[in-house]
Amino acid sequence: MSELLKGGEFLIREVSKDEVFTPEDLSSEQKQMMETTEQFIKNEVMPDVDAMDNSNHNFDLLVSHMKQAGELGLFSIYAPEEYDGLDLGLTTGACVVEKIAPAGSFSVAYAAHVGIGSLPLIYYGTKEQKEKYLPKLVSGEWIAAYCLTEPDAGTDALGMRAVAKLSDDGKYYILNGTKQFITNGSIADLYTVFAKTPEGEYVAFLVERNFEGVSVGREEDKMGIRGSSTAQIMFDNAKIPVENLLGKVGEGHKIAFQVLDEGRFVLGAAAVGAAKAALEDAVVYANDRKQFGMPLTKFGAIKEKIADMVSGIYSAESLAYRLAGLYDERVSTIDVGKDDPDYYKYYHKALEDYAVECSITKVYCSELLDKVADEVVQIYGGYGFIKEYPAERYYRDSRINRIFEGTNEINRYLVPGMLLKKGMKGELPLVQKAKEALDIMMTPSFEELDESVRFIKEKTLISNLKTMFLVLAGAAVQKYMDKIKNEQEVLFALADMAIGIFSMESAVLRADKVYDKVSDAKKKIFESAVKVATFNLNEDIAKAAKKAAYFVEEGDNLMAIISGIRRFTKYDASGLLQAKRELANYTIENAKYPF
Amino acid sequence: MKILVCVKQVPDMESKFKIDSSSKWYDQSDLVYKINEYDEYAAEEAVRLKEKVSGSELTVLSIGPERVKDAIRKVLAMGADKGIHILDNEEHLKDPFQKASAIAEYAKSENFDIIFTGLQSQDRGSAQLAPLLAGMLNYSFVSTVVAFENKEGYVEVARELEGGLRAKVKVKLPAVVACQLGLNTPRYPTLPNIMKAKRKELKTVNIEELLKVEPLIETEKVYFPERKAGGIVLEGKADEMADELIKILKEKTQVVK
Repeated sequence: MSELLKGGEFLIREVSKDEVFTPEDLSSEQKQMMETTEQFIKNEVMPDVDAMDNSNHNFDLLVSHMKQAGELGLFSIYAPEEYDGLDLGLTTGACVVEKIAPAGSFSVAYAAHVGIGSLPLIYYGTKEQKEKYLPKLVSGEWIAAYCLTEPDAGTDALGMRAVAKLSDDGKYYILNGTKQFITNGSIADLYTVFAKTPEGEYVAFLVERNFEGVSVGREEDKMGIRGSSTAQIMFDNAKIPVENLLGKVGEGHKIAFQVLDEGRFVLGAAAVGAAKAALEDAVVYANDRKQFGMPLTKFGAIKEKIADMVSGIYSAESLAYRLAGLYDERVSTIDVGKDDPDYYKYYHKALEDYAVECSITKVYCSELLDKVADEVVQIYGGYGFIKEYPAERYYRDSRINRIFEGTNEINRYLVPGMLLKKGMKGELPLVQKAKEALDIMMTPSFEELDESVRFIKEKTLISNLKTMFLVLAGAAVQKYMDKIKNEQEVLFALADMAIGIFSMESAVLRADKVYDKVSDAKKKIFESAVKVATFNLNEDIAKAAKKAAYFVEEGDNLMAIISGIRRFTKYDASGLLQAKRELANYTIENAKYPF
Repeated sequence: MKILVCVKQVPDMESKFKIDSSSKWYDQSDLVYKINEYDEYAAEEAVRLKEKVSGSELTVLSIGPERVKDAIRKVLAMGADKGIHILDNEEHLKDPFQKASAIAEYAKSENFDIIFTGLQSQDRGSAQLAPLLAGMLNYSFVSTVVAFENKEGYVEVARELEGGLRAKVKVKLPAVVACQLGLNTPRYPTLPNIMKAKRKELKTVNIEELLKVEPLIETEKVYFPERKAGGIVLEGKADEMADELIKILKEKTQVVK
């Protein structure tokens, strides 16, 4: 096996199947945790989802289910063992959150508590701070919230106005400001609050709800996840003891952004889980619902929707677990022990390296969920528009995923931005590779595909798409130089290419890896999913590539690149209809997501 | 107290079943397996008893291929102390007599005070293993148990009878107790307990070491019953339906000429 794939490196080299982690590689314990979570959600939480959503901001039910989740240990995944945690890593985190996700509002409360709510303390807390607060968060006795956004500082989070001034006696910080859209705002006992000192340094605090000067404002009346709490938190000369400063003065923004990375990954995994649940509800409904004397699932129109949804979820799941595997493997190579005070510094260095893949996961999975939710409503037809049926809730609940934990726009912006930064720092030989890619594109090739290699058509396509990405990224950088950060339309087109390539590669390599271990029937289903996913993703990538070319180039160069795109996005998807039908039929027969 | 609970791993009953190529059983590929529902009640009751009687030891046993270890691990995570896996890749071809005798062979030297099982398996459904096992070990036997209480030197159970009746029964130990649905609410194994279970003893014994008898019954084939042709449901206004009915009777039968 070659060296562990570095962040962004998938775009400049060929990756083999043995380098990807797949859901089929999960341990027996991880599967059991999924079962526990699934049963808990299905039997205890789902029956109350509507009641929570219609509770008019009474969160008693939500909180009681949060306590139950605490008793089951669902909050213990990331915390170190000496604070009652299990310290199990992001793959296990993905497993659990995937099973919690169908429960909409509850899922958001859960993810905000375990993720961005508790992680700052885990990563930056002192021993005393952890001893005081972490066991309470792990058991669910206390609920956590993360307070970054302000009324006038959303995506531009660093434009925050909250100010923390050290008191004259040096014992307190006096905190003033308002935080907006705080998930778990009304039910939280501990807030991680980000602010600036009067000198303009960023700081983070652990703020107890009962501290003097802390108050919870109005609950927002939301489109979706209506059973979760989203409130303003106000700080009016709030007195924060200096021992509740989290991390160092000047580290606040780092803390805020580091946990967001993981939050984004977790959000991606949750979107996969919600999409599976919505799909399965729709298939069960469509098997039952008859029109023209036949179940809906007998109609090609519905079958195609199901096939496209399944192949999309399959890619999303493949890429989310692939990233989880990369994370956990990289973390396992950290040289210092977990008791080392600098452990989490190394930990973040490890995770930070995959910030590109993390943003890709957030964008791809959240948009996939939206597409699925939309088609699920369509399959339910008129009943999809009625609150009595689950499609309507999935549709409303899914929409926020493209907005929170960093909008998909900021994440798209970050993808090429971070790649170029890696190139500039010499971590990725992008310039060299872009030159090579240009040569490859300009050289005609008459090589025949070696049909004995499994998934050769897809693997060749992936390699070609990487070439095309490098050519276009190279052209864009050459034209705009360091002003490229102002060319958002160009950056977004490049981001879309990278997102498509990572998704396609994850889908193909997973099927390649598990192929020999599955039954003949399953082999066909993997092949079908790969074909449908590759075709769909390739069409999107080709469009993004053309857009990038027209944005950046003109004249002869443009024509050369356009013809290169034509050549390098060629994919023979013969048997596409058959593949869609097979994938749909298998899903319909079993009334379940097939992987 | 020394307690044993026997669990079987069965497919999710909502799976789409196919007959396998030998026609002796269903095709086992691509199925999702879980613990037989009746056995979950048995496991929960066994764990409760173990927790109540201090110094008790609870063993969980399952017969089958490698995958049944997942079922054993789940009961370990629920609270059992150790696991016995009787490895048998052809468990589905053994009859209840063979399986009971293999378990009896293992259990006879262990001197269990009480053995919990499910009333029956959801896939085979023979309900024979528990009574056979009790007979072989010369233990008391009680079935369809819906309530259980440990007393001094004996146990008291409620049995579900027909017609909504229940019977309160005193059972001398040692005993085999076959559990019915609704006996209790099985717990979800918590995440910390799932991790702890990983460190518990799980021993594997080959079926050949324990199996010394020939089968008494043999399944010749499994099959789907033939479907009766579906009826036709007419819809619409009464007079139109009457016309339609007469038309069908004329065309397809000899009733109306």
